[in-house]
Amino acid sequence: MTSLVSAHNVSKSFGSLRAVDGVSFDIEKGRIVGLIGPNGAGKTTLLKAVLGLTDCQGSLSVLGLDPFRQRKELMRNICFIADVAVLPRWIKVSQLLGFLQDVHPNFSRKRAEELLSQTHIKKTSKVRELSKGMVTQLHLSIITAIDAKLLVLDEPTIGLDIIFRKEFYSNLLSDYFDEERTIIITTHQVEEIENLLTDVMFINDGKIVLNSDMEALPERFVELMAKPDGVEKARQFKPIYERDVFGKKVMTFEGVTRDQLSGLGDIRTPDIADLFVAKVKGAAA
Amino acid sequence: MIKTQFALLRREFWEHRSLIIVPAVVAAMITLTTLTGQVSINHLDLLDMGIVGATNMPENARAVALSVAMISLTSSFIFAMWILTIFYTLDSLYAERKDRSILFWRSIPVTDFETVLSKLLTATIAIPVVTFVVIVATHLLVLLNISIWIEFRGGSPWNLIWTAVPFIDNWTATLVLLLALPLWLSPFIGWFLFVSAFTKRSPLLTAALPIFMLPLFEKMLFDSSVLAETFFERSIKMPLFAGIDNMELLFQEGEDFANFTGAKLSLLSLMDLGSFVVSPQLWIGIVVCGIFCAAAMYVRRYRDDS
Repeated sequence: MTSLVSAHNVSKSFGSLRAVDGVSFDIEKGRIVGLIGPNGAGKTTLLKAVLGLTDCQGSLSVLGLDPFRQRKELMRNICFIADVAVLPRWIKVSQLLGFLQDVHPNFSRKRAEELLSQTHIKKTSKVRELSKGMVTQLHLSIITAIDAKLLVLDEPTIGLDIIFRKEFYSNLLSDYFDEERTIIITTHQVEEIENLLTDVMFINDGKIVLNSDMEALPERFVELMAKPDGVEKARQFKPIYERDVFGKKVMTFEGVTRDQLSGLGDIRTPDIADLFVAKVKGAAA
Repeated sequence: MIKTQFALLRREFWEHRSLIIVPAVVAAMITLTTLTGQVSINHLDLLDMGIVGATNMPENARAVALSVAMISLTSSFIFAMWILTIFYTLDSLYAERKDRSILFWRSIPVTDFETVLSKLLTATIAIPVVTFVVIVATHLLVLLNISIWIEFRGGSPWNLIWTAVPFIDNWTATLVLLLALPLWLSPFIGWFLFVSAFTKRSPLLTAALPIFMLPLFEKMLFDSSVLAETFFERSIKMPLFAGIDNMELLFQEGEDFANFTGAKLSLLSLMDLGSFVVSPQLWIGIVVCGIFCAAAMYVRRYRDDS
């Protein structure tokens, strides 16, 4: 088996709306993939299909399984934290650990307790007594204690303050991630995860508009802050997107080398957020 | 599978504390009532008369009198159990959607089948078993309480109560009834689970409306009352008692228990377990319940709420 997740022409419609529209991609083991798209782009629907929470057309295989039909087998090796998958408020931390120990073959209670001992979460507390940040900490601790091959994070840090967000991602890398594990992550706060991604996937209107290795981005995309006299010349290279920053033209190019643009202005690699805007807005223009 | 099922059942008791609290509150109320009841009886010297009366009663009559008293306690528990079952089943698949924890529950390796099964088993087995244990404890507590008073007034509780009550017969019959009742009413249980899985708001109203409105529509449109009769018969004509006649028999004898000198009383013998188990209505009901539960599983699996 080469790909952990393999999607071929996957679609999902709600009535006349095609939330996911003929999407194809592969995700290899040991990658951290950022799935980035505006609200309503189909991110969550696509993730739900991957998690077997919704059925879809086309062929989709996760860990070699059909996610919707073999959800139970799949869930032994997949974890997810989603903004919408909240922990039940009535449950006590100790009950949650006991329950998972009984039903989840890959859950290590010892590991979860080790992780929780580093936080302020008491085992006798109920989830409803914890702050939102602590609930996310608890959820991450549980998931880290599950020996899963794939972790899916859908807006995992929404509503958290900056300290919790930073801690979340550093714990994710130090406690969870290793070469045997794979992470798919979506968030609006792209800047915060930019440095930990190995791959990035842009989705818009249900379609994938970019699927790239992070290391390949600097070769493929260039951003130019053009000098006033370089603007017209630069336009000949057909920028995919133009914007104004402090009165200067900033252009994003795809498939244009740095050499071709040298002398026309300041050249740099666009960050993910700018690249995303360029791909999505540029395509719409 | 079995370990998962036990974990899921335990989970139901964590989430729905009322499964323990409701029978416990009924037990506490009954025990308290008998305590205060005795104080007033004692004040009127009625207890002494009662002891004399009971001592002069034939042994069988004493058994009947005590059994009737125990049945009346049991009946309040059965009433509470059914109310509890209605509210529990209506909440069981609705609460996880309301508090949005459903995706968490679905993120662990448990199938929708196993989840819905655990709710069904809670309603049909766990609730009756808990109720049974609490009933036995309440019986013992109340009888112990009476014994202390009898002892205190110079009577013999051993003769008057503990050797007089056919405990095994009484409790076996109670357990059979507690387990048979949810099976007999299982179409309603299945319907409530199904409503709980699909309704967006007020499960109680959504579940109750068709039960009351459909017979009404039937009457208006076709001038017939098949549905009304079906629902009514399901409510009262449980074949465990071969219809309502046997129940009346029990009450008639109960009223006259002081003069009862007939054969030894057996609650079990009043039940007709054989004809209950083979009655087509029971099995039709179970099939209907199965269809509703399958629908509940289907809805939980295919429906996308978030």
